[in-house]
Amino acid sequence: MLVVNGPVDDAGHEESGHPERPDRLSAALAGVADLHLGDDLVEVEVRSATRAQLARVHETSYLDELGAFCYEGGGDIDQDTYATFDSWRIAQSAAGAGLAVIDELRRRGDGVGFVAARPPGHHATRDRAMGFCLLNNVAVAAAELTASGERVLIVDWDVHHGNGTQSIFWNDPHVLYVSTHQWPLFPGSGGAREIGGFDALGRTINIPLPAGATGDVIERAYEEIAAPVVADFSPTWTLVSAGFDAHREDPMADLALSSGDFAALARSVARTPASPGRLALFLEGGYDLAALRESVTATLAATLGVERHDEERTSGGPGADEVQRCASERAIALRIAHESLQ
Amino acid sequence: MTPLQTIAVGFDGSPSSEIAVRWAFATASHLEARVVLVHAVGLLEHQSRLDVPEEFTAAVATIAEELDFEDDRISWLVDNGDSCSVLLRCIDEPVSADLLVVGSRGQGVHAGLMLGSTSLQLAERSTIPLVIVPSGRPAS
Repeated sequence: MLVVNGPVDDAGHEESGHPERPDRLSAALAGVADLHLGDDLVEVEVRSATRAQLARVHETSYLDELGAFCYEGGGDIDQDTYATFDSWRIAQSAAGAGLAVIDELRRRGDGVGFVAARPPGHHATRDRAMGFCLLNNVAVAAAELTASGERVLIVDWDVHHGNGTQSIFWNDPHVLYVSTHQWPLFPGSGGAREIGGFDALGRTINIPLPAGATGDVIERAYEEIAAPVVADFSPTWTLVSAGFDAHREDPMADLALSSGDFAALARSVARTPASPGRLALFLEGGYDLAALRESVTATLAATLGVERHDEERTSGGPGADEVQRCASERAIALRIAHESLQ
Repeated sequence: MTPLQTIAVGFDGSPSSEIAVRWAFATASHLEARVVLVHAVGLLEHQSRLDVPEEFTAAVATIAEELDFEDDRISWLVDNGDSCSVLLRCIDEPVSADLLVVGSRGQGVHAGLMLGSTSLQLAERSTIPLVIVPSGRPAS
């Protein structure tokens, strides 16, 4: 069973010529429709995230400033990120969409969640909008879960490092953050030696990959570096920052994944939760509409166990050496950090 | 007190950043410091190689010539990220900047906006001195 949020009226969050646009959400929803799930598709009503829910991960001064900026008509926040008059309302709905999907999964104790909302969130920090992101949707959901005692794994396979999510949970031992991303690339963070703060050493895993890396490299990296830590962490929930801009057709980056690779990654991640109904995927990036649509279908089908003919998985790209180096740099960073604590 | 050796100045091609570069060159001349020009490559600017845009080198060369500032004391750092993060990285090695310099508003950013202001964010986060060079133009 797939639990998806109901419509988020995102039409007002748009800037002419900007790649983060409403068509992306339409493509993602078309990808859901392509699954033809019938009664196995559950749509939940979206409520805006409350100020208290947002304030778990964002400074209230930032929330006030962003709200006021939008109310005054919006504009460019930085060289990448814009907001309009409607953006504050839409961003609150996007954050609320994640909470609504989580609530429904908890109520049912079954199913897989997909949060089809925008603007994306994983670059938004506690006090800054950046990288097309205003509010950190996956972080809002994770914080809601940890507030009730859950241990949350966040897997971020967007092609860009989720600097916002990492920084929000940097020192939180209840969240394990795992990111595979192209490097070097925006936002420039996400090195292997970034392993978490002193209260959460090892709870951040970064696997930077070179341009051209293929699906076999990412899967190997996940299995060799992340999977043992995930098993040890034993999460009670798994949230995925599911960006699809690592697809080889995407214009914003240079990884070389196919939709079949996303399906394989999703199968790996879907094995993680201790019990059903504790996996939700959040739409992040993905700017080639056809690739986005196909990747959403393949990914969700994989998590639901729906049989389909996926695009062929990719292999043979660069990155094996980088994965080895990443493992050793991470080990060194952990050793140094532990020694400095003694 | 250690003499000021390295000035890192943000440059995005905007008139405001050109004014900041002028200030940095003039100051570096007096102090015999070197100047690192810093350009942050944003998400929209995605490029597989981190090259200095030709129009940037040309604009800076013109300013250097006007101020008689030697080429061999100029270097570039082009890195991925938002302007604030990339400038903050200059505090550490290999740049090891002693002073950060920025214009009062950058390219394409809403005039007078606090939310995305690189200079205000730097003022809050920088651990070394920061100079914000006024653009001399009223906010529109």
